[in-house]
Amino acid sequence: MPTPLPLLPFPAPGPATTTTARRHRRRRPALLALLTAALLLPGAAPALADSHEEDSGSATDTTDTTPAAAGTDFRSAGVIGEDRTGSAVAVSGDYLYWTFPAGAGRQITAEVSVTLPDPALRGGAATWQVDLYDGLRRRQPCVGGEPAATADPSAATLELSCTLPVIRPWADSWENDPLPGAYYLRLTATELPEEELGLPFEAEAAVSSRAAGGSADIGGRLGAPLVLTSRAGSLDTGSTDESSGSEENNGAEDEQGEEAVPATVPEPEDGWFAGWWTDRWAWTAAGGLLAAAAAIAGFRLVRRRS
Amino acid sequence: MIIGRRFATALPAAFVAVLTCTFPAYADEHAGASGETEAPPPQVNLVLDVSGSMREKDIDGGTRMAAAQQAFNEVIDAVPEEVHLGIRTLGADYPGDDIAKGCVDSAQLYPVGPVDRTEAKTAVATLRPTGWTPIGYALRGAVEDFGDHEGTRRIVLITDGEDSCGEPDPCDVARELAASGTHLTVDTLGLTPADDKVREQLSCIAEATGGTYTAVQDTGQLTERLKQIVDQTADNVVIENPTIIEGSGDCADAPLLTAGVYHDREEFGEHRFYRVQLAPGRELRASVSVAADRAVDPDYGVLLRALDDTGRELARGSEAGHGRTDVISTGLRYPATEDAEATVCLEVSTSFSAPESVQRAPGLPVELTVDLAAAPDAPSDVAAHGLARGWVPLVLLTVTGLLAGLLWGALRRIF
Repeated sequence: MPTPLPLLPFPAPGPATTTTARRHRRRRPALLALLTAALLLPGAAPALADSHEEDSGSATDTTDTTPAAAGTDFRSAGVIGEDRTGSAVAVSGDYLYWTFPAGAGRQITAEVSVTLPDPALRGGAATWQVDLYDGLRRRQPCVGGEPAATADPSAATLELSCTLPVIRPWADSWENDPLPGAYYLRLTATELPEEELGLPFEAEAAVSSRAAGGSADIGGRLGAPLVLTSRAGSLDTGSTDESSGSEENNGAEDEQGEEAVPATVPEPEDGWFAGWWTDRWAWTAAGGLLAAAAAIAGFRLVRRRS
Repeated sequence: MIIGRRFATALPAAFVAVLTCTFPAYADEHAGASGETEAPPPQVNLVLDVSGSMREKDIDGGTRMAAAQQAFNEVIDAVPEEVHLGIRTLGADYPGDDIAKGCVDSAQLYPVGPVDRTEAKTAVATLRPTGWTPIGYALRGAVEDFGDHEGTRRIVLITDGEDSCGEPDPCDVARELAASGTHLTVDTLGLTPADDKVREQLSCIAEATGGTYTAVQDTGQLTERLKQIVDQTADNVVIENPTIIEGSGDCADAPLLTAGVYHDREEFGEHRFYRVQLAPGRELRASVSVAADRAVDPDYGVLLRALDDTGRELARGSEAGHGRTDVISTGLRYPATEDAEATVCLEVSTSFSAPESVQRAPGLPVELTVDLAAAPDAPSDVAAHGLARGWVPLVLLTVTGLLAGLLWGALRRIF
């Protein structure tokens, strides 16, 4: 992706001052072509933002690979990812939350292993469950894995997992398809004998993903990943003229808001959205080549007879 | 080339314009954020039961009191600098049998503030198991200890017995305190895990405030859990407390919200409305979580609808469930379709119900998050860039090419 292109307007005047006017003029068409290319290529501007955010993200990731502690609600969820697992020392009855980022074209699998409380203290069978929620806290379906399991009184551990449908870059607003953004993982004991409340247990959470491939590459794109603001709200006191005035300002505020609040998730390694490449280009181009070859062959076949 | 030259001059100008537009906004936002997050330190008030029953020797062979004192010492040693810690006792002073006196026996042992470790530990060391267990009364006192502090408030209640005073019911007190708009959670630690009544009461208090209940098995666990709660409070200081609002019963006079997180209360069967201004080219995103902070019936649901000013439904999110849960949540997104700025109404309703005996007011806690993002880029085709994939289009293209070639050859032969 042409990441450095949008930067050109800034370095360009530097060398230009040291060169002659003629050289300057000669360079201009090339510069213009690059500039227009930068403007026309749809991914160029986000690519700049992407690379910037990736830098800051990886910087924090490399320093911190210790398992992230679980939170107790959506907003305090521990941030995990494919390179960072989550762990929790908790008591049964607690609701444990982790959050992780996921980009389009990936199929996410979340795995949780629970080390159950001491069987000597437990009363009966308990049902444990993992739930996955998207950035709007809509519960997502598991298309694979075992999201709920019942632990019989003697079991020591329990393995739970949930595989999400492939994440799409876009969906109609009335659809519940998984979209790029933050995801929440919640571990709950959904059915628990009363006497088992408050007993210590441990849990570990891990997230992995696989690329879904070209068959899942669909059109469209969200304006921004589903990562909700975590700032305290403020009531609109009436004068709405200013806020509705400039689009750029609104967008910038949203982005800065996300960046300034550490509880929200970082961008995933492959970006929120896949780039322009999809193997559909290869398939379609191959079709074009075959069509051309077949056309030439057909033409020569008929002409030789004449 | 003329167009190109214009471009060349217009571009830097546009860049400058964009920069000047965005950077001041960024600077303001940033300053605001750091100012807000630094201001209120989190406060933790440890409420320790010093009633007569704490003399029982059933935790690691020592008395419950000794276990609590040891845990407190370790927690005081490890408390992070930014956390303001206080200690309150219940049943520490009145050893007699007069219920009227025994049930108002709760005192502040160490004021909530920056911790002087030596002083705090000395104060804890003086405690001797003495009197009654007025939990409800102590909780009210513990909230008063915080003063009019704005930040996160957390009470940690450590007790070995149920409230021995009856009135007020500590569970109702906890819910009432949590609803009074003070961002309060109460975590409870029970030193008698085998006692059903204690467990029931303590887990009820925890549930009512979004806190946790722990059945303490040994001193080590008590210490670890206390430390964990204090550390969590310190970690969560970056999370801004939601703005408390009150939704109205209909759309017309509903509060007008901007992007952010809000907190409200909604009773069973109630509908609450809020309004949001949606500019063209923007997408409204809303998410609502309703917490089950009391004993509700096992089946429940939540519905979030976006309506326009005539009451037409624009988008909805709904979720239903059953079994134990802390919250039930749903969300919706609605990209603006009109060319002019419009007011969108958000309606929150739930299908929670509860047995007659369960307290109705205050209502269930509702957390509403409103966000505005750029509108999505709707595709002209389902496939990426409208491109083909698979063997069928490949064969189709080849056959089409072949037919075109044959036709062209035939035409050449004729003409």
